[in-house]
Amino acid sequence: MDARPQLALDRREPLVRVQHLSKQYVQRRPLTRAKFTVQALDDANLTIWRGTTLALIGESGSGKSTLARCLALLEKPSGGAIWFAGENLLELNAKDHSKFHRRIQLIFQDPTSALNPRLSAAEIVAEPLAIQREGTKISRRRRALELMEQVGLPARWEHKRPLEFSGGQRQRLAIARALALEPQLLILDEALSSLDLANQEMLLELLADLQAAHSLTYLHISHDLRLVSQCADEVAVMNERKIVEQKSAAELFANPEHPYTRELLAAMPSLESICLERSA
Amino acid sequence: MTHRHKLWGALILLACFHALVFFAGFFAPYDFATHNRELAFAPPTRIHFVDAQGKFHARPFVYGLKNDPANSGIYATDSTQVYPVHFFERGSAYKLAGIFPSRLHLFGVDDPGRIFLMGTDAFGRDQFSRFLYGGRISLMAGWIAAGLSLLIGIIVGTLAGFYGGWIDQILMRGGELFLALPWLYLLFAVRAALPLHIAEWQVFLLLIAVMGLIGWARPARLIRGVVLSAKERNFVLAARGFGASDAYVICRHVLPQTYGVVLTQMTLLIPQYVLAEVTLSFLGLGVSEPMPSWGTLLAALQQYYVLSSFWWMFLPALFLIPVFLLYYAAADALQERLSSVPL
Repeated sequence: MDARPQLALDRREPLVRVQHLSKQYVQRRPLTRAKFTVQALDDANLTIWRGTTLALIGESGSGKSTLARCLALLEKPSGGAIWFAGENLLELNAKDHSKFHRRIQLIFQDPTSALNPRLSAAEIVAEPLAIQREGTKISRRRRALELMEQVGLPARWEHKRPLEFSGGQRQRLAIARALALEPQLLILDEALSSLDLANQEMLLELLADLQAAHSLTYLHISHDLRLVSQCADEVAVMNERKIVEQKSAAELFANPEHPYTRELLAAMPSLESICLERSA
Repeated sequence: MTHRHKLWGALILLACFHALVFFAGFFAPYDFATHNRELAFAPPTRIHFVDAQGKFHARPFVYGLKNDPANSGIYATDSTQVYPVHFFERGSAYKLAGIFPSRLHLFGVDDPGRIFLMGTDAFGRDQFSRFLYGGRISLMAGWIAAGLSLLIGIIVGTLAGFYGGWIDQILMRGGELFLALPWLYLLFAVRAALPLHIAEWQVFLLLIAVMGLIGWARPARLIRGVVLSAKERNFVLAARGFGASDAYVICRHVLPQTYGVVLTQMTLLIPQYVLAEVTLSFLGLGVSEPMPSWGTLLAALQQYYVLSSFWWMFLPALFLIPVFLLYYAAADALQERLSSVPL
């Protein structure tokens, strides 16, 4: 397992600290309308260090996406605390919300549904600026074209609609849009899962470049261990609505502690074992 | 035939028909109120090319009509009197599209000849002219009432679908109440409470208000459904992530998705409301004489002797059928087209 070249992991400055985070959804049964609660997060703890990539792995339904949405302020957690640069996101008033919307951005798994098909590429990328009422229409467009170039989309495509782009290009568009407000934390919720391998490779490269250029912090949610091993500085493992283990990537792959982590790693076929099986 | 042809065919034919009605003054040979007392219930005038001597005329002509004094209501053609049909001739004054005063008519015959393409009514008024003029009231009422219904429907449906919860409950239960009320009887009560003679524009407003206010519940329900699914889309969530307000999300991302439903509903509601106007006028709740509307034209059929003796009084009803069919065809084609567009 070749983990990515280890940056000197700076553990002095956490950007995000999630403590005892829980989230319940109250739902009603059909017909009887009886209330019941679904526990989506239960006492989750997590630390993301500034300027690094934390990969969050775990099976579907383990609460990864709920955690992402709580972090992105799209859902209100039921309890616990999320410390972001020294402030608790759960105790924000409406005005501060807007401030944090600028600093935390979420990239969705399916770029097609995350982009309004009626808007042009430049309109989509400029949308966060328009919502935050930044600059003029002209300056916003100029900035949108810059951002498009940054993610590898030529500015001459500004009038194209999302459906005219390929899946990888759409995800690039979504990334450009997320970067418009110059966030500190970018949450990638299975953002590369719907892409083919070549596109995944290219986008990983792009994300690494952007991280270096803008000193971004990533929370990369994925179930693809191969991808995680390529991009993560640290890995957190989620099981049954809890974080069961958080370690540096190299350490985790070399020395998994929690039984669930071991199970997860064992389930991943290594390239050598596949080749061996084929030739046999 | 593709959807494209179906849609454009229907729209073009509808546009032609609406132009006929909109420029009624030009296309109608007479004013809607012009009486011909001696020619009550005259049948449609026959247009001839060949005269009694067997001579062919390049210009079509009509014969004069003679009223048999012994047999009132029986008309004989007076083949000694030949009135050639003139095109673009000057006749009675009118205002084109209600604005520009003009005397030009598409066709007409010299006095004392008369040309009645769809016969005359009990006062000897030209049914064809009254049909065209009547469409102005009926179609305008239909369009405005449909617009009003949809406006209310969009507002209510969007609020209900977007906010959900108790707002949704209140608005939708209110809509159901509107659907459940026995409107026809309420209408009779309202009309009975009003003075016998109220001004034309007041009746018109009343008609529109009644139809528009009754009909919003159904479109509201449909729009609510679209909004419910629209607000769950990830780009709405993404906009929220950028700090977007409700107003922004609704205007930028949710309302544009209702546009297909709104357009289709509009094409369905217009003929429905034109028919509602016909029904209300038929029952005496519509505009009053001498102003015609399609409803008052058909109201004459309430009398048995009209129904049994003068078949041409049916013609307005007959001509309305293809118009309604065209509306439904347009709605159908729109629906097909819009559903094939990825939203």
